[in-house]
Amino acid sequence: MRFFATILAALLLITPVSAQIISPSEMLRSSVTNVIRPQTKAFAIRTAELSKAMYVLCENGDLTGAQEAFATAATAYGRIEFLRVGPLMEANRADRILFFPDRKGIGLRQVQQLLAEADLTAATVPGLQAKSVALQGFGALEFVLFGTGFETLTTSDGAFRCVYGAAIAKNLEEMASEIAAGWADPEGIAQRLTQPNPAYADYRTTTESLEAIVGLVSHGIEAVRDTRINPFIAKGDGKAHPKLALFWRSNQTLPMLQANIRSLRSLVELSGVVTDPALAAEITAAFDRAETAIAAVTSPVDQAVTDPVQAAALADLVTSTQDLQRLIGEDLSATLGLSVGFSSLDGD
Amino acid sequence: MWQRRAFLKSAGAGFLASLAPRQILALETSDLVFASSIQTAAGAYGAVLMGERGDVISTIDLPDRGHDITISREAGRGVVFARQPGTFAVIFDPSGHAAPQTLTSVEGRHFFGHGVFSPDGRLLYATESDFEAAQGVIGIYDAADGFRRIGEFPTYGTGPHEMLLMPDGTTFVVANGGIETHPDYGRAELNLDTMDPSVVFIDRRDGTLVGQLRLETGLHQLSIRHMAVDSKHRVWFGCQYKGAPSESPQLVGYATMDGEIRLIELPTDTLRDLRNYVGSVAASADGNTIAVSSPEGDLLVAIDAEQKRPVLVETLRNGCGLAADHTGFIATSGKGEMIGIAGAERPQQQFDFLFDNHMLRLS
Repeated sequence: MRFFATILAALLLITPVSAQIISPSEMLRSSVTNVIRPQTKAFAIRTAELSKAMYVLCENGDLTGAQEAFATAATAYGRIEFLRVGPLMEANRADRILFFPDRKGIGLRQVQQLLAEADLTAATVPGLQAKSVALQGFGALEFVLFGTGFETLTTSDGAFRCVYGAAIAKNLEEMASEIAAGWADPEGIAQRLTQPNPAYADYRTTTESLEAIVGLVSHGIEAVRDTRINPFIAKGDGKAHPKLALFWRSNQTLPMLQANIRSLRSLVELSGVVTDPALAAEITAAFDRAETAIAAVTSPVDQAVTDPVQAAALADLVTSTQDLQRLIGEDLSATLGLSVGFSSLDGD
Repeated sequence: MWQRRAFLKSAGAGFLASLAPRQILALETSDLVFASSIQTAAGAYGAVLMGERGDVISTIDLPDRGHDITISREAGRGVVFARQPGTFAVIFDPSGHAAPQTLTSVEGRHFFGHGVFSPDGRLLYATESDFEAAQGVIGIYDAADGFRRIGEFPTYGTGPHEMLLMPDGTTFVVANGGIETHPDYGRAELNLDTMDPSVVFIDRRDGTLVGQLRLETGLHQLSIRHMAVDSKHRVWFGCQYKGAPSESPQLVGYATMDGEIRLIELPTDTLRDLRNYVGSVAASADGNTIAVSSPEGDLLVAIDAEQKRPVLVETLRNGCGLAADHTGFIATSGKGEMIGIAGAERPQQQFDFLFDNHMLRLS
């Protein structure tokens, strides 16, 4: 008996991704109710808290509270930013919430110029929304709260900087609320995704909806690797570029990666899309490796890239994302019979 | 039209000698010859030359995934371009005599997967990205000098994709897709908020801008990517929409050198089934019918170029490659299928390799 109990325990340990086979419709319903709706709602709550913290900063000078609220709201976005369908992709919200990568540093220059000019039209949400996307979201707010001159936020010299930051936070709160409302709408994208219909432009069949969910995960993992890790780690020339990392000023680079990976993992696990035990074990192992690698990077990125152990962990994170992309984009698609065909992998 | 006899003539007598008997039979019994990039069952990449009955005449290996192919009878060479953002182009001798030659994109540039030869075959032109400046260029290569890169023209936009030579032989038409990418960021699209797609006409002789046409401003996320020229020299184009999937803007239109650009009205059902993605565009042999494909929507649509309305809608799972035959079009798929549509009489065939997005008729 003890022998079988040991085997049973071992089996339970290696197959946590998916407990049982569920129908495609249930996978879709579960994706929305267990992951997408709760996470978009959480993002709305965190940005409302950020907005409040910015108000408190401008009134009472609580800089630490505002900086912490930034980190909490940013990582809440890290848990939904791969949901690149529906409300996040409407009205340029994805770019307005986070304009990244900003390869040419356009956003930084625009923010610095705006601060130098103390352009009061950026101090209201409608005024801000009329401006460049790079001035409207987390990238700009990070500079306000952590970039050169952030100390002035608690003095009268930083009055404009603070109200501009508060307007950004309010703008984020508004967009987050629209995204949560879009997913909560019983006749909106959630309905089209979970109950596809040939009359819908976006999801005509259950297969197309499942392709969308699997595609979000596969593309999300690819984007994490290509835009959030590879640009700053050392490659062929041996040179790292830590300032190309997202949120290096606020030391939120790794927390964002962790939020990305954990949320992608939760969508895979809670949706129940992986029904093959062997594949489930492989996916679990790859996510575990990715999370272990992230946990091993404990220093700020500029130091992490020069530390052999942490640099190796970042390289391992890249490998894990490559494995995950293959396991989910190819192997999982194949087991689900999805048409992720050779000619339709991306925009050619 | 480059038919079998012309092909044999240009390939030279040695061509037949270089082929196995089975291949000679395939070529001799074939009136038209087609070419496509492929992926083999083992996952390797290559390109295939095939007869109109689907007989494989020859294949070449590629270092990575290819995209479109262009051929010059005058140069006696074909070129397979790497899929974007690839850095190679493989020059091959259709007769199989000369060993394939691999071009590498120069520092600071990558290929976009499309290109054309000059009418005399002396120059090869390829759409490329100057990715630091986020500007498109046309790389110019001297076929007589080992395909040395001798210069470049601007495409007057970002993210150029397909380029064609107009029937006048002196004007290029280029589809500037408008999407900024950079090799440091993989396939990430870096400028979805400020995309500025356009169709440009460029003088082949000196690179001057002859004309630049844009769709109305509300359609700035409609990436113009593939084209074909009809019998009236209208440039038909197919788009890929980068906005919200719940929106369904029109995806097919035409532009003229007189400065007209417009999208045609496809019925709602057809448009919905294209899934915001046109993967290739081809003109029939007489230039009076245009075919467009959507591998995302598994749909093929044939359009009467004069009436500007669809005359046939066909499904083909992951179908994308399109090329005219004598009477209609052949269509190929990423699942390895080949069918005939819009008047092409041919059986459905299944191959043991997968077709890439484009099929070229050697003409």
